[in-house]
Amino acid sequence: MKTTDMRNELAQFGRGAHALATQILGNPADAADAVQDAMTTVLGAPKSYDSNRGPLKPWFLRLVRNRCIDLLRRRRPQDDKVEELLDIAPGPEQLAEQADRDKQLKAALASLKNDYRQIIVLRDYMDMSYAQIADVMDIPQGTVMSRLHRARIALAKAYGKDHEL
Amino acid sequence: MNCKFGECVGERLSGYIDGELTQQERQFVEVRCQSCVECRDTLNELRALRQKIGKAKLSDVGEDVWRETMDDTAVNATRGLGWMFLIGGVLLAIGFALFQFITGEHSLSIIEVFVVGGVYGGLLLLFISVLRQRLIERKTDKYKDVEI
Repeated sequence: MKTTDMRNELAQFGRGAHALATQILGNPADAADAVQDAMTTVLGAPKSYDSNRGPLKPWFLRLVRNRCIDLLRRRRPQDDKVEELLDIAPGPEQLAEQADRDKQLKAALASLKNDYRQIIVLRDYMDMSYAQIADVMDIPQGTVMSRLHRARIALAKAYGKDHEL
Repeated sequence: MNCKFGECVGERLSGYIDGELTQQERQFVEVRCQSCVECRDTLNELRALRQKIGKAKLSDVGEDVWRETMDDTAVNATRGLGWMFLIGGVLLAIGFALFQFITGEHSLSIIEVFVVGGVYGGLLLLFISVLRQRLIERKTDKYKDVEI
Protein backbone atom coordinates (compact mmCIF):
# COMPACT_ATOMS: atom_id res chain seq x y z
CA MET A 1 0.00 0.00 0.00
CA LYS A 2 1.30 3.47 -0.92
CA THR A 3 2.06 5.84 1.96
CA THR A 4 -0.26 8.51 0.54
CA ASP A 5 -3.15 6.02 0.36
CA MET A 6 -2.36 4.94 3.90
CA ARG A 7 -2.38 8.55 5.13
CA ASN A 8 -5.76 9.15 3.49
CA GLU A 9 -7.25 6.04 5.05
CA LEU A 10 -5.80 6.82 8.47
CA ALA A 11 -7.26 10.34 8.33
CA GLN A 12 -10.67 8.81 7.57
CA PHE A 13 -10.41 6.39 10.51
CA GLY A 14 -9.19 9.14 12.83
CA ARG A 15 -12.58 10.18 14.17
CA GLY A 16 -13.69 6.61 14.92
CA ALA A 17 -10.31 5.73 16.42
CA HIS A 18 -10.51 8.80 18.63
CA ALA A 19 -14.04 7.87 19.75
CA LEU A 20 -12.81 4.37 20.64
CA ALA A 21 -9.74 5.67 22.48
CA THR A 22 -11.88 8.18 24.39
CA GLN A 23 -14.12 5.36 25.58
CA ILE A 24 -11.11 3.38 26.76
CA LEU A 25 -9.11 6.19 28.36
CA GLY A 26 -11.99 8.32 29.59
CA ASN A 27 -10.65 11.62 28.29
CA PRO A 28 -10.37 13.07 24.76
CA ALA A 29 -6.91 14.65 25.17
CA ASP A 30 -5.19 11.39 26.16
CA ALA A 31 -7.20 9.66 23.42
CA ALA A 32 -5.88 12.09 20.79
CA ASP A 33 -2.31 11.42 21.96
CA ALA A 34 -2.86 7.67 21.70
CA VAL A 35 -4.26 7.91 18.17
CA GLN A 36 -1.44 10.23 17.12
CA ASP A 37 1.12 7.79 18.55
CA ALA A 38 -0.47 4.95 16.62
CA MET A 39 -0.43 7.01 13.40
CA THR A 40 3.23 7.88 13.94
CA THR A 41 4.04 4.20 14.47
CA VAL A 42 2.22 3.17 11.30
CA LEU A 43 3.68 5.92 9.13
CA GLY A 44 7.14 5.31 10.59
CA ALA A 45 7.03 1.67 9.49
CA PRO A 46 4.36 1.37 6.77
CA LYS A 47 5.64 -2.07 5.77
CA SER A 48 4.57 -3.47 9.16
CA TYR A 49 1.05 -3.57 7.70
CA ASP A 50 0.49 -6.55 5.44
CA SER A 51 -2.58 -5.99 3.25
CA ASN A 52 -2.82 -9.75 2.61
CA ARG A 53 -3.80 -10.26 6.24
CA GLY A 54 -6.90 -8.05 6.01
CA PRO A 55 -8.04 -4.42 5.74
CA LEU A 56 -6.16 -1.55 7.36
CA LYS A 57 -9.04 -0.36 9.56
CA PRO A 58 -9.25 -3.25 12.08
CA TRP A 59 -5.46 -3.56 12.13
CA PHE A 60 -5.04 0.13 12.91
CA LEU A 61 -7.82 0.11 15.52
CA ARG A 62 -6.21 -2.85 17.22
CA LEU A 63 -2.97 -0.84 17.38
CA VAL A 64 -4.84 2.13 18.88
CA ARG A 65 -6.58 -0.12 21.40
CA ASN A 66 -3.30 -1.74 22.46
CA ARG A 67 -1.71 1.68 22.82
CA CYS A 68 -4.62 2.80 25.04
CA ILE A 69 -4.33 -0.32 27.20
CA ASP A 70 -0.59 0.35 27.61
CA LEU A 71 -1.38 3.90 28.72
CA LEU A 72 -4.00 2.64 31.18
CA ARG A 73 -1.54 0.19 32.68
CA ARG A 74 1.06 2.90 33.06
CA ARG A 75 -1.49 5.24 34.58
CA ARG A 76 -2.59 2.71 37.19
CA PRO A 77 -1.11 -0.69 37.90
CA GLN A 78 -4.36 -2.14 39.29
CA ASP A 79 -6.73 -2.59 36.34
CA ASP A 80 -9.84 -3.03 38.49
CA LYS A 81 -9.36 0.40 40.02
CA VAL A 82 -8.97 1.90 36.55
CA GLU A 83 -12.38 0.53 35.66
CA GLU A 84 -13.88 2.18 38.73
CA LEU A 85 -12.34 5.50 37.85
CA LEU A 86 -13.41 5.45 34.24
CA ASP A 87 -16.90 4.22 34.84
CA ILE A 88 -18.00 7.26 36.82
CA ALA A 89 -21.15 8.62 35.16
CA PRO A 90 -22.80 11.96 35.85
CA GLY A 91 -25.46 11.88 38.54
CA PRO A 92 -29.20 12.31 37.93
CA GLU A 93 -29.10 16.07 38.65
CA GLN A 94 -26.28 16.61 36.18
CA LEU A 95 -28.11 14.57 33.57
CA ALA A 96 -31.25 16.65 33.99
CA GLU A 97 -29.24 19.83 33.38
CA GLN A 98 -27.85 18.56 30.10
CA ALA A 99 -30.15 19.64 27.31
CA ASP A 100 -28.19 18.01 24.53
CA ARG A 101 -29.26 14.46 23.71
CA ASP A 102 -25.74 13.51 22.65
CA LYS A 103 -24.43 14.43 26.04
CA GLN A 104 -27.05 12.28 27.72
CA LEU A 105 -26.26 9.40 25.44
CA LYS A 106 -22.56 9.85 26.20
CA ALA A 107 -23.35 9.86 29.90
CA ALA A 108 -25.29 6.62 29.58
CA LEU A 109 -22.39 5.17 27.61
CA ALA A 110 -19.94 6.35 30.27
CA SER A 111 -21.85 4.40 32.92
CA LEU A 112 -21.09 1.10 31.17
CA LYS A 113 -18.10 -1.19 31.63
CA ASN A 114 -15.06 -0.35 29.52
CA ASP A 115 -15.45 -3.43 27.30
CA TYR A 116 -19.11 -2.62 26.69
CA ARG A 117 -18.30 0.94 25.67
CA GLN A 118 -15.67 -0.27 23.21
CA ILE A 119 -17.87 -2.86 21.55
CA ILE A 120 -20.77 -0.42 21.15
CA VAL A 121 -18.51 2.18 19.53
CA LEU A 122 -16.98 -0.40 17.19
CA ARG A 123 -20.34 -1.75 16.03
CA ASP A 124 -22.89 1.05 16.33
CA TYR A 125 -20.64 4.08 15.75
CA MET A 126 -18.07 2.63 13.35
CA ASP A 127 -20.31 0.00 11.76
CA MET A 128 -17.73 -2.79 11.87
CA SER A 129 -18.60 -6.43 11.23
CA TYR A 130 -18.49 -9.02 14.04
CA ALA A 131 -15.40 -10.58 12.46
CA GLN A 132 -13.58 -7.22 12.45
CA ILE A 133 -14.65 -6.48 16.04
CA ALA A 134 -13.29 -9.87 17.12
CA ASP A 135 -10.01 -8.96 15.45
CA VAL A 136 -9.76 -5.53 17.08
CA MET A 137 -10.76 -6.69 20.57
CA ASP A 138 -8.83 -9.95 20.34
CA ILE A 139 -11.81 -12.09 21.33
CA PRO A 140 -13.42 -15.10 19.61
CA GLN A 141 -15.97 -14.18 16.97
CA GLY A 142 -18.65 -16.13 18.85
CA THR A 143 -18.20 -13.88 21.89
CA VAL A 144 -18.90 -10.68 19.97
CA MET A 145 -22.67 -11.16 19.64
CA SER A 146 -23.25 -12.05 23.29
CA ARG A 147 -21.04 -9.26 24.63
CA LEU A 148 -22.56 -6.72 22.27
CA HIS A 149 -26.06 -7.75 23.29
CA ARG A 150 -25.27 -7.45 27.00
CA ALA A 151 -23.72 -4.04 26.30
CA ARG A 152 -26.78 -2.85 24.39
CA ILE A 153 -29.18 -4.04 27.09
CA ALA A 154 -27.06 -2.24 29.71
CA LEU A 155 -27.04 0.92 27.59
CA ALA A 156 -30.79 0.71 27.00
CA LYS A 157 -31.34 0.44 30.75
CA ALA A 158 -28.96 3.33 31.52
CA TYR A 159 -30.39 5.59 28.81
CA GLY A 160 -33.99 4.41 29.19
CA LYS A 161 -34.16 5.58 32.80
CA ASP A 162 -34.72 9.13 31.58
CA HIS A 163 -35.89 8.69 28.01
CA GLU A 164 -38.58 7.16 25.90
CA LEU A 165 -36.74 5.44 23.05
CA MET B 1 -45.51 -15.21 25.98
CA ASN B 2 -43.90 -12.93 28.54
CA CYS B 3 -40.18 -12.29 29.13
CA LYS B 4 -37.92 -9.48 30.26
CA PHE B 5 -35.71 -7.52 27.81
CA GLY B 6 -36.23 -10.13 25.12
CA GLU B 7 -34.61 -12.89 27.16
CA CYS B 8 -36.39 -15.65 25.27
CA VAL B 9 -34.58 -14.59 22.07
CA GLY B 10 -31.45 -13.35 23.86
CA GLU B 11 -28.34 -12.25 21.99
CA ARG B 12 -29.89 -13.23 18.68
CA LEU B 13 -31.86 -9.96 18.86
CA SER B 14 -28.60 -8.08 18.41
CA GLY B 15 -27.45 -10.48 15.71
CA TYR B 16 -30.76 -9.87 13.93
CA ILE B 17 -30.37 -6.08 14.06
CA ASP B 18 -26.82 -6.35 12.70
CA GLY B 19 -27.66 -8.84 9.95
CA GLU B 20 -25.24 -11.41 11.39
CA LEU B 21 -27.65 -14.38 11.68
CA THR B 22 -28.26 -17.35 9.45
CA GLN B 23 -31.60 -17.53 7.65
CA GLN B 24 -32.85 -20.11 10.17
CA GLU B 25 -31.90 -17.91 13.11
CA ARG B 26 -33.55 -14.90 11.50
CA GLN B 27 -36.78 -16.82 11.08
CA PHE B 28 -36.62 -17.90 14.73
CA VAL B 29 -36.33 -14.27 15.86
CA GLU B 30 -39.14 -13.12 13.58
CA VAL B 31 -41.52 -15.85 14.81
CA ARG B 32 -40.71 -15.08 18.47
CA CYS B 33 -41.15 -11.35 17.96
CA GLN B 34 -44.60 -11.95 16.51
CA SER B 35 -45.76 -13.76 19.65
CA CYS B 36 -43.71 -12.01 22.38
CA VAL B 37 -44.47 -8.35 22.99
CA GLU B 38 -41.41 -7.90 25.22
CA CYS B 39 -39.09 -9.27 22.53
CA ARG B 40 -40.64 -6.99 19.92
CA ASP B 41 -40.35 -3.95 22.17
CA THR B 42 -36.76 -4.76 23.04
CA LEU B 43 -35.93 -5.22 19.36
CA ASN B 44 -37.38 -1.80 18.52
CA GLU B 45 -35.67 -0.24 21.53
CA LEU B 46 -32.25 -1.61 20.59
CA ARG B 47 -32.72 -0.58 16.97
CA ALA B 48 -33.55 2.99 18.00
CA LEU B 49 -30.57 3.11 20.32
CA ARG B 50 -28.26 1.80 17.60
CA GLN B 51 -29.40 4.60 15.29
CA LYS B 52 -28.86 7.20 17.99
CA ILE B 53 -25.32 6.00 18.64
CA GLY B 54 -24.63 6.00 14.89
CA LYS B 55 -25.69 9.64 14.63
CA ALA B 56 -24.08 10.80 17.89
CA LYS B 57 -20.94 12.92 17.86
CA LEU B 58 -18.60 10.82 19.97
CA SER B 59 -15.48 12.60 18.74
CA ASP B 60 -14.90 16.25 17.89
CA VAL B 61 -11.67 15.61 16.00
CA GLY B 62 -12.37 15.54 12.27
CA GLU B 63 -10.53 14.20 9.24
CA ASP B 64 -8.75 17.51 8.51
CA VAL B 65 -7.26 17.65 11.98
CA TRP B 66 -5.85 14.15 11.61
CA ARG B 67 -4.33 15.10 8.24
CA GLU B 68 -2.62 18.09 9.88
CA THR B 69 -1.47 15.87 12.73
CA MET B 70 0.14 13.49 10.27
CA ASP B 71 1.81 16.45 8.54
CA ASP B 72 3.26 17.44 11.90
CA THR B 73 4.49 13.89 12.22
CA ALA B 74 6.34 14.36 8.92
CA VAL B 75 7.88 17.59 10.26
CA ASN B 76 9.05 15.74 13.38
CA ALA B 77 10.55 13.01 11.22
CA THR B 78 12.44 15.66 9.18
CA ARG B 79 13.71 17.16 12.41
CA GLY B 80 14.90 13.73 13.52
CA LEU B 81 16.79 13.35 10.25
CA GLY B 82 18.30 16.80 10.76
CA TRP B 83 19.58 15.79 14.20
CA MET B 84 20.91 12.53 12.82
CA PHE B 85 22.86 14.28 10.06
CA LEU B 86 24.13 16.90 12.47
CA ILE B 87 25.30 14.41 15.10
CA GLY B 88 26.75 12.13 12.42
CA GLY B 89 28.52 15.08 10.79
CA VAL B 90 29.92 16.34 14.08
CA LEU B 91 31.19 12.88 15.02
CA LEU B 92 32.81 12.44 11.62
CA ALA B 93 34.38 15.90 11.83
CA ILE B 94 35.74 15.20 15.31
CA GLY B 95 37.07 11.83 14.19
CA PHE B 96 38.63 13.33 11.10
CA ALA B 97 40.16 16.20 13.04
CA LEU B 98 41.61 13.74 15.53
CA PHE B 99 43.01 11.69 12.70
CA GLN B 100 44.54 14.82 11.14
CA PHE B 101 45.94 15.83 14.47
CA ILE B 102 47.53 12.45 15.11
CA THR B 103 48.98 12.04 11.62
CA GLY B 104 49.98 15.69 11.34
CA GLU B 105 48.23 16.35 8.01
CA HIS B 106 46.41 19.68 7.80
CA SER B 107 45.55 20.18 4.11
CA LEU B 108 41.85 20.61 3.22
CA SER B 109 40.30 17.89 1.06
CA ILE B 110 36.88 17.45 -0.62
CA ILE B 111 35.75 15.14 2.22
CA GLU B 112 36.40 17.85 4.77
CA VAL B 113 34.37 20.27 2.74
CA PHE B 114 31.46 17.79 2.66
CA VAL B 115 31.70 17.06 6.37
CA VAL B 116 31.78 20.73 7.35
CA GLY B 117 29.01 21.41 4.85
CA GLY B 118 26.94 18.61 6.40
CA VAL B 119 27.34 20.07 9.88
CA TYR B 120 26.35 23.57 8.84
CA GLY B 121 23.56 22.21 6.64
CA GLY B 122 22.16 20.21 9.56
CA LEU B 123 22.36 23.27 11.81
CA LEU B 124 20.55 25.33 9.21
CA LEU B 125 17.77 22.69 8.84
CA LEU B 126 17.30 22.59 12.60
CA PHE B 127 17.26 26.36 12.85
CA ILE B 128 14.60 26.66 10.12
CA SER B 129 12.49 23.91 11.72
CA VAL B 130 12.62 25.44 15.22
CA LEU B 131 12.02 28.93 13.84
CA ARG B 132 8.94 27.74 11.93
CA GLN B 133 7.56 26.03 15.02
CA ARG B 134 8.12 29.13 17.15
CA LEU B 135 6.38 31.34 14.58
CA ILE B 136 3.37 28.99 14.45
CA GLU B 137 3.18 28.93 18.26
CA ARG B 138 3.45 32.69 18.43
CA LYS B 139 0.51 33.07 16.07
CA THR B 140 -1.75 30.45 17.68
CA ASP B 141 -0.84 30.60 21.39
CA LYS B 142 -3.96 31.96 23.11
CA TYR B 143 -2.07 32.47 26.38
CA LYS B 144 0.68 34.68 24.91
CA ASP B 145 -0.69 37.81 26.61
CA VAL B 146 -1.01 36.18 30.00
CA GLU B 147 1.49 37.57 32.48
CA ILE B 148 2.85 35.20 35.08
